[in-house]
Amino acid sequence: MNLSWNGTEEIQAGKDAVWTFINDPAKIATCLLDVQSTTIRDAHSFDAIVGVALGPVRGKFTFRIALIPASDGNHMDMKVSGGGLGSVVDLVAGADLISNGDASTTLNWKGTAEIRGPAATVGGRVLDTQARRVIATTFENVRKSLSGSPQAPANAPGDGS
Amino acid sequence: MVIGQAMKRKEDPRFIRGRGRYLDDIVLPNMLYLALVHSPYPHARIKSIDKSKAMALSGVKAVITGEDLDAAKLEWLPTFHGFDKQMVLALGKALYQYQEVAGVVATTREVAHDGAELVEVEYEPLDPVVSPFQSKEDKIILRDDRETKTNHIYHWEVGDKEKTASALERSAVRIQERILSPRCHPAPLEPCGMVADMNKATGRLTVYMTSQAPHVHRTAFSLVTGIPEDKIHVISPDVGGGFGNKVPVYPGYVVAAVASVIIGVPVKWVETRTENLTTTGFARDYHMDVEIGATKEGKVTALKVSTTADHGAFDAAADPRKYPAGMFGIVTGSYDFPTAFAEVDAYFTNKAPGGIAYRCSFRVTEASFAIERGMDILARKLAIDPAELRRRNFVRKEQFPYPSPLGFVYDSGDYETTMRKALDKIGYDALRKEQADKRAKGELMGIGVSSFTEIVGAGPGKHFDILGIKMFDSAEIRIHPTGSGIVRAGTRHQGQGHETTWAQIVAEELGLDPQELLVEEGDTDTAPYGLGTYASRSTPVAGGALALAARKIREKAQKIAAHLLEASEADVEWKDYKFSVKGVPGKSVTMKDVAFAAYTNPPPDTEPGLEATYYYDPPNLTFPNGTYIAVVDVDSETGAVKVRRFLAVDDCGVVINPMIVEGQVHGGLTEGFAMAFMQEIQYDNDGNHLNTNFTDYLVPTALETPHWETDSTVTPSPHHPIGAKGVGESPNVGSPQAFVNAVMDALAPLGITHIDMPLTREKIWRAIRDAKAQQ
Repeated sequence: MNLSWNGTEEIQAGKDAVWTFINDPAKIATCLLDVQSTTIRDAHSFDAIVGVALGPVRGKFTFRIALIPASDGNHMDMKVSGGGLGSVVDLVAGADLISNGDASTTLNWKGTAEIRGPAATVGGRVLDTQARRVIATTFENVRKSLSGSPQAPANAPGDGS
Repeated sequence: MVIGQAMKRKEDPRFIRGRGRYLDDIVLPNMLYLALVHSPYPHARIKSIDKSKAMALSGVKAVITGEDLDAAKLEWLPTFHGFDKQMVLALGKALYQYQEVAGVVATTREVAHDGAELVEVEYEPLDPVVSPFQSKEDKIILRDDRETKTNHIYHWEVGDKEKTASALERSAVRIQERILSPRCHPAPLEPCGMVADMNKATGRLTVYMTSQAPHVHRTAFSLVTGIPEDKIHVISPDVGGGFGNKVPVYPGYVVAAVASVIIGVPVKWVETRTENLTTTGFARDYHMDVEIGATKEGKVTALKVSTTADHGAFDAAADPRKYPAGMFGIVTGSYDFPTAFAEVDAYFTNKAPGGIAYRCSFRVTEASFAIERGMDILARKLAIDPAELRRRNFVRKEQFPYPSPLGFVYDSGDYETTMRKALDKIGYDALRKEQADKRAKGELMGIGVSSFTEIVGAGPGKHFDILGIKMFDSAEIRIHPTGSGIVRAGTRHQGQGHETTWAQIVAEELGLDPQELLVEEGDTDTAPYGLGTYASRSTPVAGGALALAARKIREKAQKIAAHLLEASEADVEWKDYKFSVKGVPGKSVTMKDVAFAAYTNPPPDTEPGLEATYYYDPPNLTFPNGTYIAVVDVDSETGAVKVRRFLAVDDCGVVINPMIVEGQVHGGLTEGFAMAFMQEIQYDNDGNHLNTNFTDYLVPTALETPHWETDSTVTPSPHHPIGAKGVGESPNVGSPQAFVNAVMDALAPLGITHIDMPLTREKIWRAIRDAKAQQ
């Protein structure tokens, strides 16, 4: 099953701060939803064990997450691969950073995921909804971490294409 | 008369009291449990398998991979079709999603499944082939193991190609339609399983397994493992539904057996529902291009059917060698076509293997669906009532035995009488009038007719085999001194009621009490060798063996009776269920008297005892038939279909137990209803299986199931010892097209000709919406 999403997020922090944050595996790891444990592998990758509940598919998934920053400091790619319970997930996402001055940064992002196994077949009907929840929560956590204070909930990501 | 009586089923008291003994009820000392690791990819190269984490889990005793089996030369198993082989555990490549990749053996079922989660398999995903039409292009070759580098499995054809083409060309009226018989699954409520118990002291492997054909499975295990057949004991305990799903050999069976042989303790494997739906034998998946020619007056002139078949990753279709497309040659159905031609091309895809006879005798459901839909489409084109078109083209009663243009010789039938009974009983003319009134008001009401002919009862052995073994069947009867007895057969029932009907056949032949005849099946150490129960073959084949074994006993009994009656054997006759001296009405002995004498006072020149065995190879197949009529109302706003009435009039020859026949028909109609409206095994374009459980693969409950009306006609099979033809599969074969024809009839005012099954509300709603948009 292939899914794709895109969206725009406004982060109340300067572009440099956002860039530094998203380049740090340890910080990104704290923003993921339902993380049970993380292992930092190197400066740009980490492993995460995540609790997953997709309809009747419930358990732990293990992911390897690689951060791939562009040299110009304006774009970040992320590759997520892993799975569990007989399922496989391969996700590729990318975000363009646009500075809105010192106070805020816009992230124009898009991602595509290939999901196979029970997560796709058993949980297929709830997958898109769940994925949107994960994305929204992750950005919300990024926002909170960078602003240091609670923010309004993140906007729902745009429609898949 | 015992035959023809609605005797209550002898097996039911233990089932309704929860005293059946199914596979998962079997628990043996020191038993371990097997769980399987499945491929999440439909097509992927296996780069590595790391067992270490699984082996480190407390309670895990072994992890078995394809390479382990390869080392033991057990990596492949033969499919029952005989032309192909199937990987036991994926070796090198995984060829369909959920394919078995490794097995984990552990002290509990839960630990085995936890261990399976810890087996790390590194895959290199490959592009999948998800349709036979994509497969046909041969851009991606799926089977590296085959010498022939093509996905094409076979081409099979029957009939006169040139004559049919010419006749179609000359026909005044022609119809053409691509008709899909979609991939579906038998989905027995009890999934497949095995307890393998290798006794290293005796060197004997006992396997308890969910088997419709235990003797064939014993032979297959011997061929796969090299274990001598006398060292393998197969026991098929009570089986919770089979419908063809429990005929093939599956990887789980082999891995459980291998694990038990290696470890030396019993190993149990029981599928999950998902495993059953994703890896075991599917049915159908025939894309059929149907062409019918006819005169303007509605006489058919020619039939051509070209089929593209999706067989999945291995050719595991359980069809006889001589008939790779099974009995698809029955596609001329109940109609007297002057000429016909059928061809099937089968292809590999990245889907689960199968193509089993799901409650149909080897592709008969597909054939019957094709011709019955085709006749309806033709009727509409000719503006002739579909029942009338059928009647004009029926094989007539006096034409039997009828040689069809595709090579079968139909044994008996009276199609017109059966149809007339159905039309009268349902009030066909009044329904047509009601329909006209409703159409005038814009309401969508449909009447669907199906006048099908089945072909069942494989053998005869000269034409049909499994793994080369001729498709005979067998019976053994032992009458005890007190006149009770034990009856054993090479078949294995899964709900068909053999414990009752077999007793009725023997009781009828011997004048004994069916309640005192114990019927046993499913134990290869005690039952005579037989080919099993599927494809509606039990009554046509084993039923014949039972009657003929009983007649052998009666022959011997006549000698003993003559001895008891102090008469010449030639003067003794079997009449009114007892032996009498001709012309001396009061002088008679019963079979019970004879049985006692067989052990206590046999004639001097006769060996004691009263038993017989018969291996019956039938001279021909049998051809059950019937007319089914469905009446539906379709909601034009929602696409919802209400099946208002459904009548099934079956001619299955001589009926042994009408109550059991009625139950068989009810069950088969419910399955046909499910196929018509609910069930399809679907894969997405990436090869993901989308119907892995009963929330996505629907099984009708009492809430959805219509009320069934049934009736019968009887034209005995002239070659069967008791004139029976078999009925278990008729309702599944005959009903889907009745439902579809009814819905298409309802949608006729909108110009909708055909919608592929399953006719979901959404499909019907979309068809109505599109049709209205074009109007």
